Amino acid sequence: MRRLLTSTVAGLVLAIFLVQLASTGAALYLLRVQMASIIHEGRAREVLDVRDDLLASYYDGGGSELREYISARRGSIDDPTIFVALLGVGGTPLLNNLVTPPRAVPTGTPGRVLAQQHSGQAPAEALAIRTDLPDGSRLVVGTATESEQHFVIAFAEAIGLTIALTVAVALAAALALGYVISRRTHAIAETAEALAQGDFAARVPREDVGDGFDHLRRQMNLMAERIDLLVGELRGVAGSLAHDLRSPVARLSASIDTAATHVADESAAAEALQLARQDADALEAMLTTALELSRLESATIADRRSPTDLGAVCADIVELYEPLAEHAGIALDCKSVPMMVLADRELVSRALSNLIDNAIKYGGDRIDVTCRSDPAGAVVTVSDNGPGIPREDRSRAVERFARLDNARTRPGAGLGLAMVAAVARLHGGSLDLSGRVDGQPGLVAVLRLPLR
Amino acid sequence: MSGRILVIEDDDRLAQYVVQGLTEANFTVDRAANGRDGLFLATDSEFDVIILDRMLPKMDGMQVMKAVRAAGVATPILVLSALGATDDRVEGLTAGADDYLSKPFSFAELLARVQVLQRRNSPAGQVQQAVLRCADLELDRLSRQVRRGERKIAVQPREFRLLEYLMLHQGEVVTRTMLLEAVWDYHFDPGTNVIDVHISRLRRKIDDGEARPLLHTVRGAGYRLSDD
Repeated sequence: MRRLLTSTVAGLVLAIFLVQLASTGAALYLLRVQMASIIHEGRAREVLDVRDDLLASYYDGGGSELREYISARRGSIDDPTIFVALLGVGGTPLLNNLVTPPRAVPTGTPGRVLAQQHSGQAPAEALAIRTDLPDGSRLVVGTATESEQHFVIAFAEAIGLTIALTVAVALAAALALGYVISRRTHAIAETAEALAQGDFAARVPREDVGDGFDHLRRQMNLMAERIDLLVGELRGVAGSLAHDLRSPVARLSASIDTAATHVADESAAAEALQLARQDADALEAMLTTALELSRLESATIADRRSPTDLGAVCADIVELYEPLAEHAGIALDCKSVPMMVLADRELVSRALSNLIDNAIKYGGDRIDVTCRSDPAGAVVTVSDNGPGIPREDRSRAVERFARLDNARTRPGAGLGLAMVAAVARLHGGSLDLSGRVDGQPGLVAVLRLPLR
Repeated sequence: MSGRILVIEDDDRLAQYVVQGLTEANFTVDRAANGRDGLFLATDSEFDVIILDRMLPKMDGMQVMKAVRAAGVATPILVLSALGATDDRVEGLTAGADDYLSKPFSFAELLARVQVLQRRNSPAGQVQQAVLRCADLELDRLSRQVRRGERKIAVQPREFRLLEYLMLHQGEVVTRTMLLEAVWDYHFDPGTNVIDVHISRLRRKIDDGEARPLLHTVRGAGYRLSDD
């Protein structure tokens, strides 16, 4: 959940949602202010119109005409929401349709006052204007703003509904956007992942829409195309070179064997031929491994994985090497539990044999092989107490023909770990090199394979 | 040992090397340089073993093998291949080959395998016997016990299988690769001298303190268990 909240897409979704919410809120607020002011102005104009009518009758026929006009509720004062009060010189009401006339009514423009229009009701907000007449009396004209209150309530209801709708729509839109972005980026990431795992034919599905994602997809596919081409060329060269070199090496070995049968057993020539034969064998072994490696890496070999007990595979290989280790004064120990994995026994045995062979050649006087499972899958570790490989060189050590600065640079050693890594990848697993947990010098090779 | 071998191989130098070596080992050797001639010879005359290259002009090695088997010829076939991967080995063996050897190979390896194939085709030796014997060395396949004269020898399960294989092929040269394939069922070269150490351990158990050693090292080839 925490990861979800801190993720870019979640942030984006939240931001889009908040922006939408804020903009809708601002628009509604402006609309309300605008509408309130329009209503207010309309009311004020109405009040002024009534006042002007009354003043006109006053100037026509004086105070009596005005009183008659008011009493008869003629003209625009017919409106029941309009109230009129005529106050005498001391403020005594002369004529009044109010229970309590408002006090302190502004002059000039209509202002807000409190007026009690009907008995039994609380004084309500009203808009009123006072005009001082030449005879000393005062004319107060006003209108109840009850309808304005109605508008405010109705508007508040409408705003509530709008906000609820906006929240729902904005949230849905933001989530949909987040989903679309996530899905598109995941599609691109999945392609990158496939490329990283060696599937160089992987491409992002094309959608010609011309946006940033489209650009990213196109560039991704161009990059994949280029990688595919380069890797293919490289593999072709490596593979065919190894393949083509094997026949001459076979003939070389044959010639050496033929020559060896024609020289005296203990002569210097026999010794030289023996050495030449050893070199030819070493060359052949490297070519074989290089050829196999290129086949493994291009994943063109037949899938011969079957349910295999990885624990038994470990125990068998350890048993194969145990006499050799003992002969070299190395304690070789195996702790394994039965564990079924989908594996090519031959390839996994070969990978393990490479790891143990390496540990015997370059490690110390102790090798521990373990086979266990963790939540991620099956884990085989081969650890030694030799000088190890410096942290900065470890990732390079699994590359083919890696040349490291320490002792692990004998001829032929350059392919062993690359081979193990290729076998691991072919099984959907991985090879990692690390130091020992106890901090002592040594190398721990960790081979991970997915459980069945 | 004598016998008739057919070599179907297009590479002249390699064929010459194989033919010469086999001739020196007292075999009568015929050679065909392409698949079609090879098929003709294989179905026309009797051979003890056929050595067949995987990739041949005119007719592919796998096709030759299928045609030979289809013609009812049961002669053991050893397939040679420059491809040298487990894929081809499995394909070759399922298509009817009896053994498989990847190029480059040493002649000793080829010879050892040809001899095993030739003998497999001859009337059964000790294959079905419950007790295998070589001089005063005795291996009981039922009780899984090993004795040398009156001395009981304790062996581990893998050593038992190693000794059993050597006794079944006594008098013959068995190579390290053959042992790895037959005893451990691995088809890769674990390098160094993994097998040598197993052999020397076994040798200590059966030959130490004995007047006549039985387990011999054949230089440049492998090992031989025999009473001479």
